[in-house]
Amino acid sequence: MEIHLNRVDYMQVGVTSQKTMRLLPAMGKKATQKVAIADHDGVLTCFGMKKGEAVPVFKTLPGPKISRLDLGGAVGTPQEKIFVCSGSEVRGFTKKGKQFLTFEANLTESINAMHVSGADLFVCASYIYNHYCDCKDQDYYLSGDKINDITCLSTEKLPHLVPVLACQDRVLRVLQGSELLYDIEVPGPPSVLELYNKDGGESGEDVLYGTADGKIGLIQIGESSAVPKWEIDNDKKKGGILCIDTYDILGDGVSDILVGRDDGTVEVFGLDSSGEPTSRFEHVLSESVTSVQGGCVGKEGYDEGIPASLSSGWVTGLTTEALKAEAGPGDEVKMSKETQSKVAALRAELEQLQVKVLQGREKYQQSSQSSTAVSAVPVFSINDKFTLCQDDASYSLTLEVQTAIDNLLLQSDVPIDLLDVDKNSAVVSFSECDSEPNGNFLLATYRCQANTTRLELKVRSIEGQYGTLQAYITPRLQPKTCQVRQYQIKPLSLHQRTHSIDQDRPMNRLSLVGQFSFAEIHSWVVFCLPEVPEKTPAGDSITFHFHNTFLGTQLEASYCKGEGHFRSDNISTISILSDVLSKEATKRKINLNISYDINDESVSHTLKMIHPKLEYQLLLAKKVQLIDALKELQVHEGNADFLIPEYRNILDESAHLLEEYKKQPAHLERLYGMITDLFIDKFKFKGQNVKTKVSSLLEILDNYDLTSLLNFFVEA
Amino acid sequence: MISSNRILTKILTVTLFVCTTLTVTGTMLVPIFTLKLNHKINPRMVTIGKFDGVHPCLTAATQAGKVFIHNPHARGQRPATHRLSQSAQDSDISLLNINQAVSCLTAGTLGPNTTGDTLLVGSQTNLLAYDVHDNADIFYREVDGANAIVLGKLGDIQSPLAIIGGNCALQGFDYEGNDQFWTVTGDNVRSLVLCDFTGDGKNELLVGSEDFDIRVFKEDELVSEMAENETVTSLCHMHGSRFGYALANGTVGVYDRTARYWRIKSKNHAMSIHAFDLNADGVVELITGWSNGKIDARSDRTGEVIFKDNFSSSVAGVVEGDYRLDGQKQLICTSIEGEVRGYLPASKELKGNLMDSSVEQDLVRELSQRRQNLLLELRNYEENHSNTVTLPQGVSDTDSGMGVIPANTQLQTALSVRPATEAQKAHIELSISTPNETIIRAVLIFAEGIFEGESHVVHPSAQNLSGCVRVPIVPPKDIPVDLHIKAFIGGKNSIQFHVFEITRQLPRFSMYDFTVDPSAAPPTGRVSFSINDRPQRVVMWLTQNFLLPEGIDSPNITFTSLRGRGLLSINMASNGQITLSTDDIDLAGDLVQSLASFLGVEDLSAEADFPGYFEELRTTLTEVDEFHSVHQKLTAAMADHSNYIRNMLVQAEDARLMGDMTTMKKRYRELYDLNRDLINEYKIRSNNHSALLARLKSVNQAIQRAGRLRGRPACVCVCVCKIHSNNVFPSVTERNAAFWVTRL
Repeated sequence: MEIHLNRVDYMQVGVTSQKTMRLLPAMGKKATQKVAIADHDGVLTCFGMKKGEAVPVFKTLPGPKISRLDLGGAVGTPQEKIFVCSGSEVRGFTKKGKQFLTFEANLTESINAMHVSGADLFVCASYIYNHYCDCKDQDYYLSGDKINDITCLSTEKLPHLVPVLACQDRVLRVLQGSELLYDIEVPGPPSVLELYNKDGGESGEDVLYGTADGKIGLIQIGESSAVPKWEIDNDKKKGGILCIDTYDILGDGVSDILVGRDDGTVEVFGLDSSGEPTSRFEHVLSESVTSVQGGCVGKEGYDEGIPASLSSGWVTGLTTEALKAEAGPGDEVKMSKETQSKVAALRAELEQLQVKVLQGREKYQQSSQSSTAVSAVPVFSINDKFTLCQDDASYSLTLEVQTAIDNLLLQSDVPIDLLDVDKNSAVVSFSECDSEPNGNFLLATYRCQANTTRLELKVRSIEGQYGTLQAYITPRLQPKTCQVRQYQIKPLSLHQRTHSIDQDRPMNRLSLVGQFSFAEIHSWVVFCLPEVPEKTPAGDSITFHFHNTFLGTQLEASYCKGEGHFRSDNISTISILSDVLSKEATKRKINLNISYDINDESVSHTLKMIHPKLEYQLLLAKKVQLIDALKELQVHEGNADFLIPEYRNILDESAHLLEEYKKQPAHLERLYGMITDLFIDKFKFKGQNVKTKVSSLLEILDNYDLTSLLNFFVEA
Repeated sequence: MISSNRILTKILTVTLFVCTTLTVTGTMLVPIFTLKLNHKINPRMVTIGKFDGVHPCLTAATQAGKVFIHNPHARGQRPATHRLSQSAQDSDISLLNINQAVSCLTAGTLGPNTTGDTLLVGSQTNLLAYDVHDNADIFYREVDGANAIVLGKLGDIQSPLAIIGGNCALQGFDYEGNDQFWTVTGDNVRSLVLCDFTGDGKNELLVGSEDFDIRVFKEDELVSEMAENETVTSLCHMHGSRFGYALANGTVGVYDRTARYWRIKSKNHAMSIHAFDLNADGVVELITGWSNGKIDARSDRTGEVIFKDNFSSSVAGVVEGDYRLDGQKQLICTSIEGEVRGYLPASKELKGNLMDSSVEQDLVRELSQRRQNLLLELRNYEENHSNTVTLPQGVSDTDSGMGVIPANTQLQTALSVRPATEAQKAHIELSISTPNETIIRAVLIFAEGIFEGESHVVHPSAQNLSGCVRVPIVPPKDIPVDLHIKAFIGGKNSIQFHVFEITRQLPRFSMYDFTVDPSAAPPTGRVSFSINDRPQRVVMWLTQNFLLPEGIDSPNITFTSLRGRGLLSINMASNGQITLSTDDIDLAGDLVQSLASFLGVEDLSAEADFPGYFEELRTTLTEVDEFHSVHQKLTAAMADHSNYIRNMLVQAEDARLMGDMTTMKKRYRELYDLNRDLINEYKIRSNNHSALLARLKSVNQAIQRAGRLRGRPACVCVCVCKIHSNNVFPSVTERNAAFWVTRL
């Protein structure tokens, strides 16, 4: 069953964080619900809709940025107490806006995830989890990686509390008291957790999770182990999940799953009779959806609606109510009275503001005459994300600003490729670069079209070349300022954390022994590899697993104080690591004893791993080259019957082939580059410089054949 | 009989459009028909012609030197002879064999007594006028490239002309193939349109060319010139004197006469533009088809998008026609993969609102966004104020991340000419500096036509940060440029910077240095003319157009060209006679044009002598001659070869039929060798041809340049060049020579 929903804007507050908007339970006979939303200005706003206009119930005074909002209340009563956290403080408000609780958690870091359940309060700072009951300290846990979200299985159906942490290292950690009960591996870094049906489903054990790379899953958290129920892949490469809610919007008695993503997509998944999710609705808003809730806010009668709050602070509803476009007899489209009054009010407010702004401008101008005054424009907020896309081994950078972006300057001190993104309408211009003496390898400007608040870019890095990518963002806001954001391109930038590696592959080993501390070697690993927590792990030693998203090769890093071992089936990975690590150690004047254990078999193993990709790409390139000529022949002869089946096949599949080819620009060149690196690195470990033979290698690659390539690697 | 025929057509029309979404649903305009033609369409080579006088047929160039004609209205009536052959894939399509890569095509009324439209197909060497209905050639002419074509009436010329734009040349043919019109323009022509530019009731010809200019010709007289910053790829007439244009860098816009109304730039390329009244408000909109498959309609006044749609592949062409034969014109868009969509103008109910969203929602959203912007700006001022109060007076905290700078910081910019040194080429230096300890983190300069892209960035590395940045600029052409400078000012460790925005104008002739090396040879070329103005006016012109030091009060000045083209000296005698001495004829032309327009001189008679350039031209002309004769020789040789091949093939086939395999093999081997020879010869021929074209282009440009030495759109003035005494022409293309003489 498909549903059709229309967009209605309710209200705008300041910039919001993830999960900072909730609907209060409906009261008495009234069917409409109130909305509670908290923003970065520290303001908690509670409002209801009356005749299409937002009527505030209460509004708190500005303060420090609010990072989460949750509802709570005594068990068995309506959950209508509002809890917000800012810094390391948790405050509670009644639905009327009376503050009844101020609780200082005394954490060194600020709280970034919170869950309230009856008298129990769960808060998480980056690595720390704390449980309070009636504001008394109960349990404590230190996680191995950053905690993104927390939820707790409800006490109503279970004998005791079961908190679940979503951690950046692709693991959900299930706790019991202060101890880890067990952990669950999920396919991506989980970004949000939510109880299914708000109470954990029938068993009270069902938890929904969403990942930063756009996957959603349902998991049943059992006593001693978890059972994954289903998982939705992110085939269409939509944004990462920021919020999930369950609400029966279709009215079929089964709760539907509402999902908000960081690319502005709002989706509704319905569960079919076998419990499998199917997409029912999709709507794309202009910015990240930080919270999504199912309920009824606007009008009675149309009791389905999804208020969603966007990162820019808009609270927007998607309603089943049809928007009436009354076309009057006149030429102008007649607006409904509600809108008319809304528009009039807005215009009046605008005029007032305009006057104030003019005064402000004048004052600012005056101050520029004074020789003692200073000009300091407050920092504007940028919502940015720099992530590695697994399927095309490139980084995507998304930037979001509350107002329209005027232009963007990208600067990089490492060679990287900037790829075109269809969604991006900004006009890009590459400027001449001077690598000497200013160390620029990329200087590009994006001039944005009016009303662009969100920009998406793609960047392709080369492993072994590391440095910083800087983005200078200038919004269209007076007085004009720009802010710089930095993104590290790590030496092994195309690697991604995984849970385990295949131990049967032939592996090369790099071992380091020296007078370094655990923290030091950890910081080197952080420098080299993405997705490693910055905090030195607890314990004496640690092992991380990675895989190369482009080639599929793997890496195991295990180290402790004074000793480190890195194993990979790709000799280039080992070579890059050894270069960077020895450089880092030299910087700190630490003597390293480096030893290698090179397995010659690993090279041919890697080549064999590349082989299917290379062959596919070569074949694809060849076929694509033929398409035009074959089409011409077809036109000339009137049909394609005279062609051999292979060619006819190419013609039939031409559209698909072209699409594939377009999807992976320069894929072949990248593979060639990796093979060349492999070749050089193999002989580097033997102490030979084979750079002169690269041209003959390229010749072989041009007439590619696996055996001749393998032979060349052996013989050269 | 006739009426029954009609009915038949109607039925066919219905069957044709079954695959479509027929109604305009909701509040959005949707195509009334879509077709998949299964033939690729070459970009910009799409037209609609009523070849039988009644039924419009979509006609487009496709691969392999073919043109297809889609005629869904009259099936099964076509003979398949001569050039026309029916496509085996699709019975509605007939293919026309041109046997050359098609470069442009159009259709329309050319002859006075023809029933239907004439199809005109241009290639790099020929123009074919073809009667599709009678399946016969009307004429076939050799031309100097046909990059663009337009059909219609021009000025006072009686019969409609097919005007083609080639390599610097414009040619117009009437229905008999007679060459009625010929003139030259500055560079290779890329787009043409006919419209009443001057408002005198007669059409002028607008020409867009590769030297970024749009020129307006009133017959063969150049009346206006508009400088753009990229190759002008498309032009279309909107209404009155208003016309749309598109550039190779993704710009589209609208001009009214010489004034640009609006323009927008996209990262995609505009493939085709067309004027069509899509929202039925009585005024045409500019419809643009983009390389990413997007179609949009923009208001001719503001450029605001009123409608858009998407194809899966690049748009090939946008045309209009009554394709359903119901009396209503449709906008017809085609993609390069052969997808065709037709749109009807919006019905009354839509009220001009073609987009899928509600007006009120948009209005509220826009107002709220504005409110948000104002609130943020206000917050900026308020917090700035509170900062000013809290910070101790006089202490500038330039190292905080917020980027605090003294409020009286002002950016100073200066332009200066830098001659070449060993380390750096000659350039103009733009120096930007702050008066205090703040630093410049980066400088962005947006300017058109002087950088590779639209912007240039200077981003010093962290250790090289300072309060002063020097940007070398080398404008490739003598054009006045606005430099939009954005400088990021802050402290060394700031994460937020103040953006200073300044616009500086780079004078037109900035690449000329005031200092002169006394040993440099004086220029031999010169142009002189008389004006009735005070020397001060000339000095004023000089200071506005050159980068001069302060205190110049005499118009007698000598410059060194930083592009290595020798000296330029300007002299004004007491009788008002101005002499410009330079060896660069282009520069002389630009100077004359610029000075004449500054002084408001309409007519200017000038006397010019450029011995060096004329010598070059003379050699070029001789070369043209040589290439011509080589060309003829090669053509003869090719004809010989092809006879030989025919013989050989017959012999070989004979041998095969006789079963004499050895002879056959031998013949075929010979044939193979011959083929190789032919290919080699072809390569020589094509090299020769491109060399010839290059020479012809420079001859055409010479004519154009000589024209520019005269005053403003002057026509009566005479430019006395010594060259006319040299009678090298008769051997060259006679037409060029004839023109040369008449104009000089």
